[in-house]
Amino acid sequence: MITGCGVVSPLGGGLRPFWEGLLAARSAVQPITGFPADDLDPHAAAEVRDVTSSDDDRAGAFALEATAQALADAGLEPAALDARRLGVALGTTLGGARLFERWLDGEAVGDPERIPYYAPAVRVARRLACRGPVVTPQLACASGTQAIALAADWVRNGRADVVLAGGADLLCRFVVAGFNCLRATADRARPFDVARRGLVLGEGAAVVVVEDAEHAARRHARVRGRVLGTGAAADATHMTAPDREGRGAARAMQAALADAGLDPAAVGFVSAHGTGTPYNDAMEAVAIARVFGPRGVPVNSIKGAIGHTLGAAGAFEAVLCLQVLAERIVPPTVGLAAVDPACAALDLVYGEPRPVAVDATLSTSSGFAGVNAALVLGRP
Amino acid sequence: MEVVVTGAGVVVERGAETHLRGALGLDADGSVPLGHLPEVVRGRASRAERVTQLLLAAGGRALATAGFDAAAAAETRAGIVVGTAFGCFLTNAAYQRRVAAGGQPAASPRLFAATVSNAAAGELAIAYRLGGPAVTLTAGGASGLTALGEAMEAIRAGRADVVVAAGVDATGDALAEWLAATGGAYGAPPAEAGAAVVLERTGRRGPEVCRLAGHASAFEPIAAACADAGVAPAEIALVVSAAPPPLASLEARALAAVLGERRRRLLIPKRVFGETFGAAGILGVLAAGAEAGRGDPVLVLDVCPTGHVAALVASVPEAR
Repeated sequence: MITGCGVVSPLGGGLRPFWEGLLAARSAVQPITGFPADDLDPHAAAEVRDVTSSDDDRAGAFALEATAQALADAGLEPAALDARRLGVALGTTLGGARLFERWLDGEAVGDPERIPYYAPAVRVARRLACRGPVVTPQLACASGTQAIALAADWVRNGRADVVLAGGADLLCRFVVAGFNCLRATADRARPFDVARRGLVLGEGAAVVVVEDAEHAARRHARVRGRVLGTGAAADATHMTAPDREGRGAARAMQAALADAGLDPAAVGFVSAHGTGTPYNDAMEAVAIARVFGPRGVPVNSIKGAIGHTLGAAGAFEAVLCLQVLAERIVPPTVGLAAVDPACAALDLVYGEPRPVAVDATLSTSSGFAGVNAALVLGRP
Repeated sequence: MEVVVTGAGVVVERGAETHLRGALGLDADGSVPLGHLPEVVRGRASRAERVTQLLLAAGGRALATAGFDAAAAAETRAGIVVGTAFGCFLTNAAYQRRVAAGGQPAASPRLFAATVSNAAAGELAIAYRLGGPAVTLTAGGASGLTALGEAMEAIRAGRADVVVAAGVDATGDALAEWLAATGGAYGAPPAEAGAAVVLERTGRRGPEVCRLAGHASAFEPIAAACADAGVAPAEIALVVSAAPPPLASLEARALAAVLGERRRRLLIPKRVFGETFGAAGILGVLAAGAEAGRGDPVLVLDVCPTGHVAALVASVPEAR
């Protein structure tokens, strides 16, 4: 069961600005102001602007804030939980990267222990005095999706009653220069559009509370949704380019559906990875059509609105799916005006939000080194 | 459900290989031994960064001993779970130093593509055409045993028929500086290693190296790992200790609380292999497998100063 969620997004702090911004087709992409970026080309991104914090561990601060929101949303007080049955699964691709930049430059940083990738999860675990499993999935841009899958496994296997699961990532020169040098970026993200040129980076954190059904029932918790199935698969073809045929992504989606015991026809909405790069979106069109049939299911991407939040992306998209299940409406794909003929096999939601009949959703994520992960969520 | 280890591969610092049968040591010039790999894999490995080289060297050896070869048809039911404490830390440092010095024009696409910790698992998937789930995780110094536990779960849940479970970390100047900056809480001298095992369901194909019965990853995982294994703590015959010095008394108290006061044989692989971070847990399993009596349950621990702890119960089959 998912009994709570918390969001620190470029559309604003909290679930409501995130969801309302998506429905209103707002884009948070602007020129970068959080660090010197004028020499970076392009230098537009979706920054988190309204979390005022002197905390120099930005991803950790996002994660703590999203965790606090998720616990409050779930009506959980960490001190009242059995600490041995409380876990943390938090994906990230950059973690303490801004601290790392300064530390490598010879500057003193407050706490160098906040640099490694495991640091945000350890920080959250310490804040909660958690004594259950604590893991940082490292699946590049599929990390957030895999974190929720891992949490669901722990709960199913009886290893934990409550797991805080999601992802957190941040913008910094390290990553903007990196995607720019791959020529994978643009000033605007236009997922699935014929004029798309590349992705735009974003930052933030999204965290959900994955809770054992009996534990949730005992405390009469409101249930936001259920994790029905999870799946992962490797392309095993290329380190940075996706498999053109989308075989790995399709296998991950099929594995998640099989895990859920669902036919593709039972899924009423697909949240695509939809980065806005020419290759990714064309690959996904093939993969999604392979699993769901041509124009078989409504699809959107939120990366035109909040950018590509890397290790947090899959967690944001899980929260999106929970909202679609609750409100039965799909936000439009920001940045999409004219569908690329190569993506014509997708029933893309763009222009206006679209009401849908939906009992189950699927979110798909892919990343560097050929990772793919998928998550099927259902109504309570 | 028990899960069987059907192949193993280990690369450790030069000289330390004498402590574990079948292990490879680093070459005299410090390079990772790649000569045992099939030609097609060796070519990719020779161009890769060091964590990837260590994983390919150990993982390739593990797959070969389990009877897999790189020329076989793509295996969509074969997965990978890699644990690493620091992953691409050294690559990140090499990449970032260029960006800091020369800005975006100095950013290297080749290095940036490897600034994800799952790059090594991706290379292993490509080299051996493993198309099942490819998961990389970090749980600090307890990453290796945590990865091995999640690999067991992938087999138990039927997500894959075969899983390469590995722990790996490379050392270098930037990491040594970072360890010094944090006060050296890890203890034993930093050392490089890659350790990999091939897991399969009981009775599937390869020869049995040892059986994995139960695991847990948490701050107090010992009792949970025994329960998962269906092994009474009193039956544990051998314990692999892993705590860095500041946590040694905590580990001893935790062991006494669960296992009772009767003294068990204690094995401390870090004394010979050094602090190998992500590789330590799987090295511990293999070292215990070499030391334990047949059928005797062994308890292997993986402990990190961050508080990440993992425990695993394994045994060597009575008849091979």
